[in-house]
Amino acid sequence: MTTITLHHTLPAVFAQRTDITSEVWQQDVTLTRGYLYLIEAASGTGKSSLCSYLTGYRRDYSGTIAFDGRDVRSLKTADWTALRQRSLSMVFQELRLFPELTAWENVQIKNQLTHFRTDAEVMAWFEALGISDKRDVKLARMSFGQQQRVALIRALCQPFDFLLADEPVSHLDKDNSRLMGELMLAEAQRQGAAVVVTSIGHHMELPYTKIFKL
Amino acid sequence: MSLIWKLLRQHVSIGQLAGFFLANLLGMLIVLLSVQFYEDILPAFSGEDGVMKNTYIIVSKRIAAVSTLSGEAQTFTQADIHELEQQPFTRRVGAFTASQFQVYASLSMGGLGMGTDMFFESVPDSFSEFSQTAAAQDFSAAAEIPIILPRTYLALYNFGFAATKNLPQLSEGVVSMVPMDFRLRGEGGAERRMKGRVVGFTTRLNTVLVPESFMRQMNQELAPHASAEPTRLIVEVKNPTDDAIASFMQRRGYELEDDSLAAGRATYFLKVVAGVVMAVGLLISALSFYILMLSIFLLVQKNAEKLQNLLLIGYSPARVSLPYQLLTVILNALVLVLATGLLLWIRSLYLERLWQMFPALSEGSLLPALLLGLGLFLFVSLLNIFTIRHKINSLL
Repeated sequence: MTTITLHHTLPAVFAQRTDITSEVWQQDVTLTRGYLYLIEAASGTGKSSLCSYLTGYRRDYSGTIAFDGRDVRSLKTADWTALRQRSLSMVFQELRLFPELTAWENVQIKNQLTHFRTDAEVMAWFEALGISDKRDVKLARMSFGQQQRVALIRALCQPFDFLLADEPVSHLDKDNSRLMGELMLAEAQRQGAAVVVTSIGHHMELPYTKIFKL
Repeated sequence: MSLIWKLLRQHVSIGQLAGFFLANLLGMLIVLLSVQFYEDILPAFSGEDGVMKNTYIIVSKRIAAVSTLSGEAQTFTQADIHELEQQPFTRRVGAFTASQFQVYASLSMGGLGMGTDMFFESVPDSFSEFSQTAAAQDFSAAAEIPIILPRTYLALYNFGFAATKNLPQLSEGVVSMVPMDFRLRGEGGAERRMKGRVVGFTTRLNTVLVPESFMRQMNQELAPHASAEPTRLIVEVKNPTDDAIASFMQRRGYELEDDSLAAGRATYFLKVVAGVVMAVGLLISALSFYILMLSIFLLVQKNAEKLQNLLLIGYSPARVSLPYQLLTVILNALVLVLATGLLLWIRSLYLERLWQMFPALSEGSLLPALLLGLGLFLFVSLLNIFTIRHKINSLL
């Protein structure tokens, strides 16, 4: 997948509003593989809605969203499954990890599906992000900041053209935030992929190609 | 798989699954048992295995008051016979031929003479018990007429007539040794005297039976102009327990001479009972299936978030459905295996009793019950697989 285009897209909840001033909603926006994007948003401007439209679990919008020119409304379940395995990786704001499993198992459940990374690679990331001692700890016992790092590692365990990160560092300090940013950037560049980061204020310092105000 | 199972087994209710398991086991067992018992007991009612062997039935038209008054004989036309031959339960049909001449029989035993007017009837030789030589001989004047009497006639004489008249009781062997004189009188005073002898007794045919060849020869000789349609037919049927026989006879107003159809009625009753029991079993199975589906739906609902997360990180609905589908299929398979085991055990108990009642009984086939069990298993499992997948898809 090379491009994601939004054409006059607007969440259904905003349909009655006339005061929308956004660089994304009701505009023509194209996101291209290989670039870095930041979407800055204030609360209640539809950031999470945008992410759920792009990952295909909500469809309550008007206008068009297209992957490589193909309207995503026409995608079948099997198409979405294939996209989520090979083209589109996501770090969810609410993480969507499994609290019953350990940090390691949370990553493995993804890697067992894609067989994309070796255990050594994954372990190296655990160490780089400073959570190697939490490897076999149940996720429910970890802090949100630690869980955010597990979520990023899981998101990297697949091939992707676009990495969507919804407030990936909201609970991290500057140093950890920088480490996460570097790791994301390195992996994206290695795959020639785009990174789309959203943030409310505090955001990762990356050489963004374009910054949208939602 | 193990990680997914570790996730999805959360909220699995052992109590609900045990409830389903027991209910389904009971339903399945009742269904299989009803089929198997029917299979095992059926030979006791059908003729093939000798308990009530009798594949011949004798059919006559019902004698109504009107026909008695009008003197109209209740005979079978060629069309009637043809129709009967065409019935799926019929193997072959033979007509009774009545003597068209008068028969006077007399016998003398130790100076005691008895005589009576009587009649002869014949059925095609392939239906009767005459030996080949007796039936094939040429009935010239010197020949003896071989006769088969119903066993009940002898009983009637021995226990009714002889007892009250102070006459000697006769055994079958003695009767067979007594020569009888017959005077046959036909049209225009044609007459013939012959000797005859009882060659056997039958419980099957309620008439004085002579070989068909003899009957044909005498009718031709003594009454060449008379021809009569038969009043009775002898029918060999494929399976005397077939319900179709009774319903056909009833529809046509035909009567059956003996109780050969009692077995058929018993079989019909057996079928009804087996059917009712099976319906109850199927109902229990259906209800247990409902419990399982409710339990699985509850499980899916409780684990909806996990399932949705798995789908969002790239798991296909098929892969996510698999653990629950396997769970139900394994449960169903366990039910099938256990129900089959219990069936064999219960069967061994009742077969012992059956053999005491019907020593000659051969056991029925296990195949129908096993096939039905397998069929039920496949049907329920496929339905489970389909509905679980459908439910998971609805999470998207």
